[in-house]
Amino acid sequence: MNATVFTLTLRQFAGQRRSLLMFGLALIPVALAIIFRLGEHLDQQEETANFLANVVITLILPLACLIIGTSALGSEIEDGTAVYILAKPVPRREIIAAKFAASVLIAAAFVVPATVVSGLIGLQGVSEEGIVTGFAIATLVGVFAYTAVFILLSLATSRALLFGLAYVFIWEGLITELFSGTRFLSIRQYCLGIADFFATVSEQEFEATIGGPEAFILAAVAAAGALFLAVRRLESFELTNTD
Amino acid sequence: MADAPAGTIYDVGYQRYEGVRLGRRHAIWALYVHSLRGVFGIGRSWSSKVGPMGLAVIALVPAIFQLGVAAVTPTELSVIRPEEYYNLIEVVLAIFCAVVAPELVGRDQRTNTLSLYFSRALRRQDYALAKFGALVTGMLAITVIPQAIMFLGNGLAANDFGDYLKDNWTDLPSILGSAALLSGLIAGIGLIIAAQMPRRAYSTVGILAAFLLTSIIAASVFETADQNVGRFVLLLSPFHIVRGFTLWFFDATPDPGTQIGEANFHGIAYAIDAVLVTLLMLALLFRRYEKISP
Repeated sequence: MNATVFTLTLRQFAGQRRSLLMFGLALIPVALAIIFRLGEHLDQQEETANFLANVVITLILPLACLIIGTSALGSEIEDGTAVYILAKPVPRREIIAAKFAASVLIAAAFVVPATVVSGLIGLQGVSEEGIVTGFAIATLVGVFAYTAVFILLSLATSRALLFGLAYVFIWEGLITELFSGTRFLSIRQYCLGIADFFATVSEQEFEATIGGPEAFILAAVAAAGALFLAVRRLESFELTNTD
Repeated sequence: MADAPAGTIYDVGYQRYEGVRLGRRHAIWALYVHSLRGVFGIGRSWSSKVGPMGLAVIALVPAIFQLGVAAVTPTELSVIRPEEYYNLIEVVLAIFCAVVAPELVGRDQRTNTLSLYFSRALRRQDYALAKFGALVTGMLAITVIPQAIMFLGNGLAANDFGDYLKDNWTDLPSILGSAALLSGLIAGIGLIIAAQMPRRAYSTVGILAAFLLTSIIAASVFETADQNVGRFVLLLSPFHIVRGFTLWFFDATPDPGTQIGEANFHGIAYAIDAVLVTLLMLALLFRRYEKISP
């Protein structure tokens, strides 16, 4: 990993309006959890688990990773500054490693605390049953897998955002819901599997289709595979005019 | 060398433009047409077409499904009713806006071409108006066409097209009215966000968040808070506004179980709300382009 690329990437994400959007994305689940706690609930654990699954894992996590993953290298390619990085005698795998590490750090810094805080607020007053731990680990794993895939996407196509959205909303949101056989190809399902593995609530309340260990291995394979392909892609990268 | 003239002026043949100047109105029209082509990626590479065209096709799927049902069943059977159509494709419409709006306005800011536009006959509000018009037209295309296909298909599947038309002609103004309000509302919100954030990734996700997350927040506030207060929150969520005024346009009563049904507003409240929000967004957009330094 190259420390300069790493710090440069961290700084790249520190714009005012952009980080405002990220703050907004992170604050929304917390605000929702507070609204949720103000209401009457029959089963707080079930509803909190479903809230974390349906809002944080389904929307906040992929959207945050989509912004960060596609712009870590994508905005450099778009701006034309990628030339200066690629022209330096730095191995391409180190560039990918630095970009990946910085992206994961930023994304996790927003999403994981949002998960923990909103989970704790939602479960305040009842036993935790591993829900917060499970979802925190799940979002962390999700950050690794999503970011790796979106970095690869930003190198493979100049329309990374579009294909990323299509993956999140059409593949994960529609097709894997309709055809459950495709669920082993969905990062969302890996996250839910991991969360379910740690949470000890009963099966009617929250149930995932992929077992914990399998989900963990599949997520690791997805992240490692995407990073490997990203390095391969960057090694033979040709700068073209993107806009 | 000493007696050579100190300087010589050459006539390099610069000429003034002598042709017709088409003026401001033509500039607006040209920008509108250019932007509308850009909405669907016409005249651009295939990768610019994939997104908008693909989403337009997805928006058609429920209509085609209804046609299949209408063709197979002997009686007039509406599985998908026109007043429910936008509810079915609302996420598709939001993604369409999120993909297209940053292309429309963000690109000119990223490539610093705004100064070129503003140095011509085009005024700053004209730029905003042309972009808004183009996005509204694009949104109209993907909302009216499926409805029109469904209307025609149901009519042709019916025993007598003339009778069907006589019974259901009131649907036509409803389709146009609701589609126009929806397009204005969604385009206005999308453009104001895209104009704030020139980076594509951020503005796309920002627009999606503005539609999807406000819908979730409004729904959960509504469930939690006191009915009399909570129901006004629905008037802040674009998706709820669209659902509300679409039902009103088609003169349908909302299902009592749904949030629109429970909120129990008169349908016209959503329509007025939509108009107000659209006008506010347009005003903000004008202000943004007055202030922006190109």
